[in-house]
Amino acid sequence: MPEPTFTSRFTSRRGLLFGTAAVSAGALLTGCTSNDPKDEEPAANDRPAADDKPGKQVTIGFAGPQADHGWLNAINDNAKSRAKKYSDVTLEITEGSNDTAQQIGQIETLINKKVDVLVVLPADGKALTQVGLKAMRAGIPVVNLDRIFNTPQAYRCWIGGDNYGMGLNAGHYIGEKLKGKADARVIELAGLDNLELTKQRTQGFDDALKNYPNIKKVARQAAEFTVESGQAKMAQLLQAQPRFDALWNHDDDQGVGALRAIEQAGRDDFLMVGGAGALSAFQAIKQDNGVLKATVLYPPTMAASAIDLARALGQGKGVGGLAEYEIPASITLYSAVVDKENVDQYMSTGFR
Amino acid sequence: MTQPVSPPRGSTDKVPQVPLPAWRGLVARADVRTLSLLGVLAALIVIGGVTKPDEFLDTRNLQLVLTQASVIGVVTVGMTFVITSGGIDLSVGAIVALASVWATTVATQEYGFGGILFTSVLVGLGCGLVNGLLIAYGGMVPFIATLAMLASARGLALQITDGKTQIVTVDGILDLGERDAYVLGVPPLVMVFAVVTIIGWLLLNRTTFGRRTVAVGGNAEAARLAGIDVRRQRLYLYLLSGLCCGIAAFLLIILSGSGQNTNGNLYELDAIAAAIIGGTLLSGGRGTITGSVLGVLIFTTITNIFALNNLQSDVQQIAKGAIIVAAVLVQRRTASTT
Amino acid sequence: MAPEPPLLSMSGITKSFPGVRALDGVDLDVQAGEVHCLLGQNGAGKSTLIKVLAGAHQPDGGTIRWRGEDVTLRSPIAAMRLGIATIYQELDLVEHLSVAENVHLGHEPTTAGFVVRGKAARASTAALLHRLGHPEIDPARLVGELSAAQQQIVSMARALSHDVRLIVMDEPSAALDPDEVDNLFRIVGDLTADGVAVVYISHRLEEIRRIGDRVTVLKDGRAVAGALPAKTTPTREVVALMTGRNVEYVFPERPVTDAPAAGKPLLEVRGLARDGEFEPLDLTLYPGEIVGLAGLVGSGRSEILETIYGARKATAGQVVVDGRALRPGSVRSAVRAGLGLAPEERKAQALLMLESVTRNVSVSSLSRFSRAGWIDRGAERDAARAATRELSLRPDNPSVPVRTLSGGNQQKAVLARWILRGCRVLLLDEPTRGVDVGARAELYAVVRRLADEGLGVLLVSSEVPEVLGLADRVLVLREGRVVHTAPARELDEHRVLDLVMEGSPAS
Repeated sequence: MPEPTFTSRFTSRRGLLFGTAAVSAGALLTGCTSNDPKDEEPAANDRPAADDKPGKQVTIGFAGPQADHGWLNAINDNAKSRAKKYSDVTLEITEGSNDTAQQIGQIETLINKKVDVLVVLPADGKALTQVGLKAMRAGIPVVNLDRIFNTPQAYRCWIGGDNYGMGLNAGHYIGEKLKGKADARVIELAGLDNLELTKQRTQGFDDALKNYPNIKKVARQAAEFTVESGQAKMAQLLQAQPRFDALWNHDDDQGVGALRAIEQAGRDDFLMVGGAGALSAFQAIKQDNGVLKATVLYPPTMAASAIDLARALGQGKGVGGLAEYEIPASITLYSAVVDKENVDQYMSTGFR
Repeated sequence: MTQPVSPPRGSTDKVPQVPLPAWRGLVARADVRTLSLLGVLAALIVIGGVTKPDEFLDTRNLQLVLTQASVIGVVTVGMTFVITSGGIDLSVGAIVALASVWATTVATQEYGFGGILFTSVLVGLGCGLVNGLLIAYGGMVPFIATLAMLASARGLALQITDGKTQIVTVDGILDLGERDAYVLGVPPLVMVFAVVTIIGWLLLNRTTFGRRTVAVGGNAEAARLAGIDVRRQRLYLYLLSGLCCGIAAFLLIILSGSGQNTNGNLYELDAIAAAIIGGTLLSGGRGTITGSVLGVLIFTTITNIFALNNLQSDVQQIAKGAIIVAAVLVQRRTASTT
Repeated sequence: MAPEPPLLSMSGITKSFPGVRALDGVDLDVQAGEVHCLLGQNGAGKSTLIKVLAGAHQPDGGTIRWRGEDVTLRSPIAAMRLGIATIYQELDLVEHLSVAENVHLGHEPTTAGFVVRGKAARASTAALLHRLGHPEIDPARLVGELSAAQQQIVSMARALSHDVRLIVMDEPSAALDPDEVDNLFRIVGDLTADGVAVVYISHRLEEIRRIGDRVTVLKDGRAVAGALPAKTTPTREVVALMTGRNVEYVFPERPVTDAPAAGKPLLEVRGLARDGEFEPLDLTLYPGEIVGLAGLVGSGRSEILETIYGARKATAGQVVVDGRALRPGSVRSAVRAGLGLAPEERKAQALLMLESVTRNVSVSSLSRFSRAGWIDRGAERDAARAATRELSLRPDNPSVPVRTLSGGNQQKAVLARWILRGCRVLLLDEPTRGVDVGARAELYAVVRRLADEGLGVLLVSSEVPEVLGLADRVLVLREGRVVHTAPARELDEHRVLDLVMEGSPAS
């Protein structure tokens, strides 16, 4: 058996025994993230911020964490394909790292290269604040993606998802579906419990449910954003709750495992709402032959938008559709609920 | 020869005066430990039965607990052999991850059921072979060699998946996890776990392989001077652990219907903890498959009871730590009194 | 006139270990400023006595008076506080620490109680090393990088770093070259001139004559003579004291004929050598013969046995069994050819202490009781029982854990392992170490019977009477070299002791 080496992500892939798999997966991915302008009008946030006409050349430095999760991987792909779309943008992308020190080093390298704009998704927002400040002082505007720095001085513009809003929208969606049902029971399959964002999602969900006195949350277990943990925790929840009406699952990746557990238990007596917006979830929603009826977005397209913002900053332009001359300091994305009605519109943004 | 020699007066010789009958010796030593584990398990069952009588004391729940125990259980059987021989395998979780993603690439899935099974087992064996060669013939310390394997296998798994979840579409695999596949109420995963356990038990207790494992762990120098090929034995042991990881990866693919680079997270710690609680000596020389399996069942049952009672993960983790400490302390006491 | 009380006065010290009474009422008086020599064969109790003196062992009985007052030495620290320092034969230095750190280990000069003042430690260490005549040793170097002789000096510096009144030196000259020995004697002279007492242990009579003042001779856990004048007591008298028996060992009858059993040799060792351990050795062993190797610690006897067995790889020569050469450095090749080793450190090198007697006995013969790896446990148990019965192993229950056995019976378990294996050449390394006196006779009889049944036995022992009583032929070793070969009946203990200590037959 040939032992794969670590020389390069791409050459080594082909050296694998069943290497073609990964390659074809890659091809599928480029298909679905849509860098083809001829696509039927895709997601709203796929619309370019400034205009499409080539302008001043801009070099954008991009630093993100290690893509060890479907969503993070989609972030990288969104950024790359968006940058490719503009002939006036050069993207300097670093190897993703979860090591704070290493990421600081990578960003400092980008500063020294004098890129025009920086887009940073920090592995740890607090720990990377200093290097954000350093870039801003060096006159390089920073677009802070999703995980926020400690101080607004460290970025020119923050763009990111709304974890509280995810929970809120999931709660309202379920609330409306169960309206009129007396003594309704819901359960929650949360993500990694030691993350702040998990607490925010749960908080939003609980706050929304307060509006529906007929609904009671009867159980909550935390998985770890992995398929394996999703299956394990969901299997236990199903055994613990012989009857419930709705389930909110924080993350579509662990949802793959949760759906397996539901299938293995032979249950279909409730509705399920997911989170994040994975392609597999969209497909299941579209087919509508299982418990998964909707998912709440935490869109990885924010990386594409960040490239748009960075380009606009580099060219000194504003955002289209707003009266402002300047780009806003902070943009919180809306956590839209995707269900059967609107799933086609989002299909191209789904990540694997 | 004439009379047995009595020790000189005033000596504190520890020669036993009256040897116990063999069966009593067995109950007194080996089984005190097993009995105490069964006692812990019984206590847990009482707790579960009292707090959630309907949900806990239920055939479906028994099936659930055993199914959830299967994957880590198979890994623990392999780990028990390695620890018994005085070694350690920190790479089990990473090998499970690598085997599960390699076996679920689109290309592998084209070969269907056989391709997935074959690839999982082969990747497990391959990693075990590398571990074994490095340790037995490369003279590396098991801790370091398997730590290196942990890092490399996880990295390779990430590289294969690119962080994506590889969903399994082979129906033959998915069906095995569902209720229709249960034979007389026994899930196929549990059957595999049972077979691995029985084979492991026989291998450790009834074969020359098991004897040599114990000898190498108890006193490697004595084993060498007694004419045992210590190095070859070590190679086989890490191969065995790798094989168990490959089987576990296959089970995990059935269970989760996917391959992901995050699979098998912290399995190494769970497997070591279960083996140690079961009564296998971390320093080697004594191992028990029965104890290891009971250790796994205890952990799985705790998780089950906590989930049924809707306790959160922080409490679960604290309890798990407390139980490890308590079990090891109890073991030390029983060890010192026998 | 009020006589000055002795610096140290030990009386009636007893100490027992499981199966052995190591000290049986020992008296020892040491005066300030004298060099008091301790003599005795291996197992006479010297090591136990100095460990009691160092606070490492607690005596079962007897009193210790220090400068006229009763004291209890509860721990090594307590002994050190009184001013008793011990330099062990096996150096107890930490290799990965520097010289200065070793010298001050446990009493580092500190600021505010915990900040180690490295510079001060190095300076005082340098001063000590200068006083010991070795200013060339750098206090900052790691001890592991030093030669054995230099390590000895560091050990001594450590002893002197305390306010010391009595120093125990256990065979300090064993690892030293002649001119280093001279330096050692100069140091001993300086110390005694300052009023420090030295308890000096050595096998070399000539050294004792040069620096000793008085001699105490230990024998079987008792002081058979105290306060002999070191310079004038005749060698013959000293050796007689060391060898005179209280308990006569009972050795089995030797076969009448001296000539080796007819036929081909069983084992031939041709020019076998290991650099730095022993010089090329030739040896032939016939079936039914017991050949003894006599020598002191460090004479290379254990190394020779282990090299024959393949546990160490020879740098030259070969081992031939039944005309076929063994693969060098391969224990498995030796075991297959029919060799079996009962090593010196039974617990560390032979026994699986957590396992039963049966499993310890069967471990080398597993393939005999198994088909396709499957063990027939009934056959295993029966065979182990037969082998242990043949040796009268007690208790007669092979399912008990081997760790519950006495030393003699543990040794029998090791022998049973090789009997079961059908081994043809037994290599015995200190077979009676840790075996009490009564059980020894039984072991001797077993070994002789095995030889009578056609085995060849190669025996290593530091107890000269054992070698002389049991072996048919004896090779006397000194510093890795065979200095004499003779039939055992032509040798006596006195002669062998002379040979191993002096290197040439005493005149």
